[in-house]
Amino acid sequence: MEVLAWTALFSPAAAVVAIALLGERIDRRAAGLLAAGATFLSFVCTAALFFDLLGREPEDRSILSTPWTWLTAGDLTIGASLLVDPLSVFMMLVVSGVGFLILTYAIGYMDGDEEERRYHAYKALFIFSMLLLVTAGNLLLLLAGWGMVGLSSYLLINYWHQRHAPVEAGKKAFIMNAFGDATFVLALFILVQQTGSLDFSVVFADAPDALGENSTLAVLVALGLLGGAVAKSAQVPLHTWLPDAMEGPTPVSALIHAATMVTAGVYLIVRTSPLFELAVDVQELAGILGAVTLLMAGLIALVQTDIKRVIAYSTMSQIGYMFVGAGLGAYGPSMFHLMTHAFFKALLFMAAGLVIHALSSEQDIRKMGGLARELPWTYRAFLIGALALAAIPPFAGFFSKDAILSSLIDQGSLGWILWGAGITGAFLTGLYTFRLLFIVFFGEQTPYAREHLHRERFEGPLAMMWPVGVLAVLATIAGFLQVPEQWHLVTEWLDPVVESVPEATGGLAVFSILASLVAASGGIAVAWALYRRPGDRPAAIRARLPWAANALEHKLWWDEAYDALFYRPSSALAAWLLGRVEGPIVLRSLGGLGTGVRDVSGRVAAAQTGRVRGYVLALAVGLAVLAVVFLLVA
Amino acid sequence: MLGPGIAAYLILSVVLFATGAFGVLIRRSPLIILLALELMLNAGNLALIAFARQLGDADGQIFALTVMVVAAAEAVLGLGLIVAVSRKHAELDVDRLTSLRG
Repeated sequence: MEVLAWTALFSPAAAVVAIALLGERIDRRAAGLLAAGATFLSFVCTAALFFDLLGREPEDRSILSTPWTWLTAGDLTIGASLLVDPLSVFMMLVVSGVGFLILTYAIGYMDGDEEERRYHAYKALFIFSMLLLVTAGNLLLLLAGWGMVGLSSYLLINYWHQRHAPVEAGKKAFIMNAFGDATFVLALFILVQQTGSLDFSVVFADAPDALGENSTLAVLVALGLLGGAVAKSAQVPLHTWLPDAMEGPTPVSALIHAATMVTAGVYLIVRTSPLFELAVDVQELAGILGAVTLLMAGLIALVQTDIKRVIAYSTMSQIGYMFVGAGLGAYGPSMFHLMTHAFFKALLFMAAGLVIHALSSEQDIRKMGGLARELPWTYRAFLIGALALAAIPPFAGFFSKDAILSSLIDQGSLGWILWGAGITGAFLTGLYTFRLLFIVFFGEQTPYAREHLHRERFEGPLAMMWPVGVLAVLATIAGFLQVPEQWHLVTEWLDPVVESVPEATGGLAVFSILASLVAASGGIAVAWALYRRPGDRPAAIRARLPWAANALEHKLWWDEAYDALFYRPSSALAAWLLGRVEGPIVLRSLGGLGTGVRDVSGRVAAAQTGRVRGYVLALAVGLAVLAVVFLLVA
Repeated sequence: MLGPGIAAYLILSVVLFATGAFGVLIRRSPLIILLALELMLNAGNLALIAFARQLGDADGQIFALTVMVVAAAEAVLGLGLIVAVSRKHAELDVDRLTSLRG
């Protein structure tokens, strides 16, 4: 049991070490297979853990394994402990399962790249870090995983390090995540001071007494954790790194920036929900930030022209739903949406990757069109992903998004507001998703597409096609895990760890479902009317609302605002310091020391005339003086 | 004990040493300077032997012998240098050998 958990955690780490040590002794494909195989082993072990837990009573489903003490500092003891409980096993299944599919896909996608082995090693490193994050038995180990997923994300975003944009994007992601890490650590400091421990069980048991409900300390702890979650999950106001992160290879976007890492913030909120429940205001703030993000990202996605950026904004928007759910206590539906989102978003990214692959690395949707005839299977996969994303039954997104929305509806006025935001978001989701679909796959083929479309034997290598197929099936059927008013398998599975607020029943539930269906299909209908074939109607709307188009194309000026608020003042300060401090004070003082020494030594050197008799005279006079001195003293 | 007392030996030693030092300082020919140096060394030797007689101790005499060995070695080195210098410069004048000026 414990061995299974440790094997699941360390098999990707072993793959990293093996790929790094073997270097060029294994070929590129073998490195990919090693990484994917190790992840598959993780998945098998996790599945075994899952069935083991399934065979136990719900109360017995939490196993803490602490084989050794990791570190001790004074009274604080941190164990190297893994926590196997329904929540962590759920996350492990998603991470290793979707991870395995994407790693397999990546073998085909990255084929022929120059530094493939490094890529596969980083990817396996990411899987290890993510598994560490979700299985950690205490907050410090969780933080270690948290930091390491940030690192592997950074390494993978700027994987193509010869180009300028990926390097910039990697730095941006790393810095914004570091901000979240810092607030996270500050929260841990308070917890260590107040409860003297970082173990989940101890912290959650002691926190109500040690911190106090709605006390300043409880609010600060929750805010710190929320800061970490918001940065990692790309929610407002720390969201600007995610669209830029699309500079990384597409499988990276699928795995890290859609399916797993960016959902770590949701996992954190659910895992530390006892702390958030001590500061309800902060928890509601998480929901509000989620609602703002889901609306804003949905709006910005309407005008993006890069296929991956549209999907990236939809990722932000969907994680916004999860934050809304987690913020109002609908933990089960949030985690359910996390899972279905991992399926259909990875599917969308991988289908987009197939399109990009077929069009010689082109990502601009204005150069695409009419691809449904040329890439029928890719089109079908993309359509399934889009239907799931737009929450059309019977695809997975419908059930999970509906579960979140109908949990909100019975939660007072804030619940109603967030529900309204969610419904509006559903309309936007339908609109931007199908705008993308229609532009890329419908209409006439553009000259660019005709010229650059190249097909191998099939629409892509087999290694790329079958993971897409598996995910398409999952995105279609996974929703039936949780059917309104019938069964709630995910929520019940998670109940021993976190209790979710009940979903609405009866008339309210029907109303919520109908509203979200109407909104989503309304969005699709608008997209159908505007984008089914290339026309000038979108341009006409844009011309009538120039300010709106301008605002959205500038992504609501977040980047510009951060540029003006942080980057420019600090670079101006740096320039000022360079001119006023570094130059005159530091550099000149050092230079002054140098010239002073040189000056003095020049004078001393002048005494060295090279005339031997002079030296002898000086010697004689010196001796005479010394003799006189000694005589006088004696 | 016959002969003059220690004071006479020491006065002679001082006169010899001063003569040597003066020679080193004012002469410009390296050969003469070398001679003057020998004079100074032997003034030292004279003082050493005088004190050894006075104190009835052999240490001073042994020291004088050592100084003679050093003086011989120094004469060899000094003469060798003078020959080497005279091959490069026609004139032997220490005031003109200033190539080590700082």
